[in-house]
Amino acid sequence: MKPSQFGYARPANVEEAVRLLQEADGSAKVMAGGQSLGPLLNLRLAQPSLIIDITAIRELTLVREEKDAIVYGACVTHASVEDRRVPDATNGFLPSVAAGIAYRAVRNRGTMGGSLAHADPAADWMTTLTALGAEILVAGSAGERRVALDQFMTAPFSVALEDSEFIIGIRIRRYSQAARFGYFKFCRKRGEFAEAMGAVVIDPELGIRRGIIGATDSRPILVPDMDACLRPSGEGIQAAKAMIAAMKIADDPVRDGMHANAFARALKQVAQ
Amino acid sequence: MNDLSLTVNGEKISSLVEPRTSLADLLREQMNLTGTHLGCEQGVCGACTILVDGVPVRSCISNATACGGAEVRTIEDFDRDPLMIELRQAFNAHHALQCGFCTPGMLIMARDIVMRLHGADEARIRIELAGNLCRCTGYAGIVKAIRSVIVSRQEALPPRPPASLPLGPAGSGHASAGNALVHVEKNGLATADAQDKPLQVKAAAAPAPLAGKRAPAVKQSFSVAAPQPVVWERFGDVPSMIRCIPGASLVSQEADGTYQIKMRVKMGPIGAEFAGVARQERNDDALTGIIHGSGRDARSASLAEGQLTYRLVDENNGESTRVDIEVSYQLSGALAQFARGGIVTHFIGAITTQFAENLSRSLSSAGTEEEVVEPGELRIAGSFAGALKAWLVDLLRSPFRK
Ligand SMILES: Cc1cc2nc3c(=O)[nH]c(=O)nc-3n(C[C@H](O)[C@H](O)[C@H](O)COP(=O)(O)OP(=O)(O)OC[C@H]3O[C@@H](n4cnc5c(N)ncnc54)[C@H](O)[C@@H]3O)c2cc1C
Ligand code: FES
Ligand code: FES
Repeated sequence: MKPSQFGYARPANVEEAVRLLQEADGSAKVMAGGQSLGPLLNLRLAQPSLIIDITAIRELTLVREEKDAIVYGACVTHASVEDRRVPDATNGFLPSVAAGIAYRAVRNRGTMGGSLAHADPAADWMTTLTALGAEILVAGSAGERRVALDQFMTAPFSVALEDSEFIIGIRIRRYSQAARFGYFKFCRKRGEFAEAMGAVVIDPELGIRRGIIGATDSRPILVPDMDACLRPSGEGIQAAKAMIAAMKIADDPVRDGMHANAFARALKQVAQ
Repeated sequence: MNDLSLTVNGEKISSLVEPRTSLADLLREQMNLTGTHLGCEQGVCGACTILVDGVPVRSCISNATACGGAEVRTIEDFDRDPLMIELRQAFNAHHALQCGFCTPGMLIMARDIVMRLHGADEARIRIELAGNLCRCTGYAGIVKAIRSVIVSRQEALPPRPPASLPLGPAGSGHASAGNALVHVEKNGLATADAQDKPLQVKAAAAPAPLAGKRAPAVKQSFSVAAPQPVVWERFGDVPSMIRCIPGASLVSQEADGTYQIKMRVKMGPIGAEFAGVARQERNDDALTGIIHGSGRDARSASLAEGQLTYRLVDENNGESTRVDIEVSYQLSGALAQFARGGIVTHFIGAITTQFAENLSRSLSSAGTEEEVVEPGELRIAGSFAGALKAWLVDLLRSPFRK
């Protein structure tokens, strides 16, 4: 048995979970799939006094369809998205991202909410959902609030959540049929965390052109001049590479080059 | 302890488990089902893969209590499973195992691949097997074995309707809420109070320096609005330097000129507390100094060792001072697996900025005890010496990079 001892609670609803978090005053940890927390517990790098298992809260495994958005419960797993067991707001982009996260056995338990809360800079959802302009639904002692994902991660492994707060859902706007998505990551081996990643979302009908550089040393970075990146016939790709290399994201020629190339490859996927 | 009910290999079982018990430990230690192997216990190697509610999961990082009510199947349950019989024969025919350590997990995954992915080709099989490590075979035989079963089965097996699977973590949909609520007695628990108690660092001898290659140095420069002699004096005054490092704490000063230090780090879910020793060497002529530090986190049994080199340079006709810092470090133990150079640099940068601000502020208001500001984006409590600061960053590495 590897983890140090902890108490365990399995609240039935959001209010109870918030109350438990509040009482624990920072010494509790929420657990969803346990696929990131589990290793930390086993290695005793995390030693919470109480684990609050949120997977019995029914609404966290539901998906709500709104007119212009889909709200995914925080505990929806990567595998559910991969298998298209949930409606998709992105013409197949979300399932393709999900299929590339870790390994199937991990995806069967790992959740979208858990991945975003864990905030590994190299996690797939953090980069791609930031590119999609997702919003996080948060519940806490002060009620519920919504945070734009690009405001959510504060530093590696750190997010803007109070001690009493946790993620209940992820809201993603519905993209149009004309939307195009690109995503590329460099990994040493499949299922390893990425060393560089780029994501591009273009929706001519919604007027969206967004590019994100992920797997940085901290937060995802918004590509400043997407218009330049989308210039026709290869010119945009060259512009993007030069722009990103000049940003010196990692301040290391090799890694900066990887960021530039990862983004260029994502860009190629949306080129017309 | 709490009462856990599960179906394991078709049998309803009920067992008293501690909340921290993983499915793997429950199966192996309490039920003697040792066909489920444990390699890494971090979700990386796949040796512990079992079926929970019909789908493969990592038993080493799946909490048993959280899977209450679920249906668990281990490799022992597949003796008469027609598909597994075929797979076993194919593994045999294609030399898909040598020592057999990876095989239980491989077979569970192989069965899932055959059932889930109709007509997967070799490339796809390799992708799907990426999470199952084999140290012996080189994979070629395993891939061939699985492919041969897929080919022979292609028509026989209809694809599984995915819609019937739940949307939440596999195995989590059964145990009713609340009834597993357990509070552990306070003793034996890492409570907040326990962490606030000073560590008995007196007893902690400086860990022996670690052998091997050092991680690349991190370099930073910042300016302090004080003349160089003032800054030089301050750098020589280790206790007041410690106050400038976000949350640092000095435990004691030893007769031999070393310092007993304490450092607490909290980052997301990761927390650690280090006890260690620091000492400083200075060169008055060159205006350079080296602070050596080493410490140990008793909870994760990890060691850190490192050094911070500083150099002071006159600026603005002696009105201010530029401080050049270089940090190198080395880690061993659980935390060592998490080092990722870029994040290290990022955090040392963040800490150095805060350190510089605190240092400038304390120099400009000599005599008054200043509140030391912690960096906005970090939640650090306690630390000393740039060398040790590198720790904090290494805590961050998530456990999947080897
Ligand atoms: C071998 C391996 C390889 C992996 N590779 C990748 C990869 O390539 N790409 C990738 O993106 N991920 C990868 N992962 C991580 C995986 O995607 C995890 O499933 C995910 O990061 C965490 O989800 P979880 O539900 O398991 O969260 P948990 O492990 O349960 O929790 C993780 C953290 O988030 C907190 N948390 C969980 N849910 C919530 C919530 N609703 N609100 C607030 N806080 C919450 C927990 O307190 C904890 O701090 C890998 C994991 C493993 C084991
Ligand atoms: S022991 Fe579970 S994945 Fe290695
Ligand atoms: S057969 Fe030895 S590890 Fe795979």
